[in-house]
Amino acid sequence: MKSILTFGLFLVGLGVYSQPNCEAFKLLGKNLRYKACIKAEDRRGHYQFSKEYQEALDSALEIDPTFAYAYQAKSFAYLKSGDFLQWKYLIDKAVEYDPEGYLGYRGWCRYQFFRDYEGAIQDIERLDELVDHEIGFSANGDYQLHIARALCYKGIGEPHKAIEIIEDQLKEESHFLGVYDYLHLGVLYLETREYEKAIEAFKKQEKENDLAENRFYAALAYKELKNENEYILNLEVAKKKYLSSSRMFDPYVEQMDKIFLEDIEKELQNGLQQRL
Amino acid sequence: MTVVSHFIQLRISIYLTLTALFILSCSSQSESSPKEYLRWVGDIEHDSLSDGPNFKLCNGDENVFQYFNIGDGLQYEGEKKALKNKFIEKYQPVNTNQSGWVRIRFIVNCKGETSRFRVIGADPDYQTMDFDKRITNQLMDITKGLEGWKILSLRENPIDYYQYLIFKMDNGKIVEILP
Repeated sequence: MKSILTFGLFLVGLGVYSQPNCEAFKLLGKNLRYKACIKAEDRRGHYQFSKEYQEALDSALEIDPTFAYAYQAKSFAYLKSGDFLQWKYLIDKAVEYDPEGYLGYRGWCRYQFFRDYEGAIQDIERLDELVDHEIGFSANGDYQLHIARALCYKGIGEPHKAIEIIEDQLKEESHFLGVYDYLHLGVLYLETREYEKAIEAFKKQEKENDLAENRFYAALAYKELKNENEYILNLEVAKKKYLSSSRMFDPYVEQMDKIFLEDIEKELQNGLQQRL
Repeated sequence: MTVVSHFIQLRISIYLTLTALFILSCSSQSESSPKEYLRWVGDIEHDSLSDGPNFKLCNGDENVFQYFNIGDGLQYEGEKKALKNKFIEKYQPVNTNQSGWVRIRFIVNCKGETSRFRVIGADPDYQTMDFDKRITNQLMDITKGLEGWKILSLRENPIDYYQYLIFKMDNGKIVEILP
């Protein structure tokens, strides 16, 4: 069993956020931070959830209690086990000592793990005010943070604001297209009854990253436009894609606008019955 | 009652009070910055009073994984949709102004059986909150009644794993179920 455990530990979750370069602290004359950073290296090879990992970071924080990175690193296990109390305590410390470095991360996690839309908006907008550079991406790399902010506005019932943010962001020459950007935009158009625009967005998603979701929602838009052939065709493609795992996926949390097989099958059944 | 038996009762009472204070001090520490760790963050030790005698781990406490360690996300018969449907069907909204999050965490063993259910709650500012029992009892009962947890395996060996459900609550209603 031990070998299985070891395999499991390395399978998912060993630090995806790289440790800061300790030598840089030394060069900058930040000796205390340098020592804390070196101490934090003791966690290497240990799982984020483990006693050894946590204790190495505790020791680092005893040397330098303002070492924001160590708080964030400690917080991973609490986030992934859904312990919103301890996670928030730790990530708040990271933000307190390095707001520019951790506001975006905290905002993303508030959205993705807890659907704390208001909190996420506050964090991302505060970051945007603080920095004059690109505000960065979600921790999993799937979303530019303004796109994530837009989804939070959708979450609080402001779809038009969400559309405006995504449209503006997509116009940015420097925007690095996320894997679900056009899908979410299309769903927003669908929800605001702009069916032609929705289909246009889903076609762009299809070109970039063709998933069961864009096909399913495209079918719903075609249904509204009374285009029965495209409605059924897209549902059938959606089902095929779903079954071949071409669909939204995150190992930790369900994403916004994700669909399930039952959604497709029910819609398909309804569509075929209507045709009969 | 004799003086001796009264004295024994007094000693028992002091002992129980000190034990309770010790437990409380440990739990309040765990909500700020824990210094005493178990094997893994969030490990749930067996409690003979609340967990019952029949649930068995197949691979021991030292080998319980997290649901995401396999890399396939939450695994439930009929997918998460079926799980959500259970709460939609069974949960009766409670007339209260309480909002925030409730997390119920537990273990699914290698046979798909569940036990060691533990609950925490937070208000919208992420501060500890005890939700109305009419909310938490319903959530706990429905969670305990879920029978579709899939058996997860690593290298063809069925494992025991931790699973959690977070309920985002808005004025006594469930508005999101995570993860």
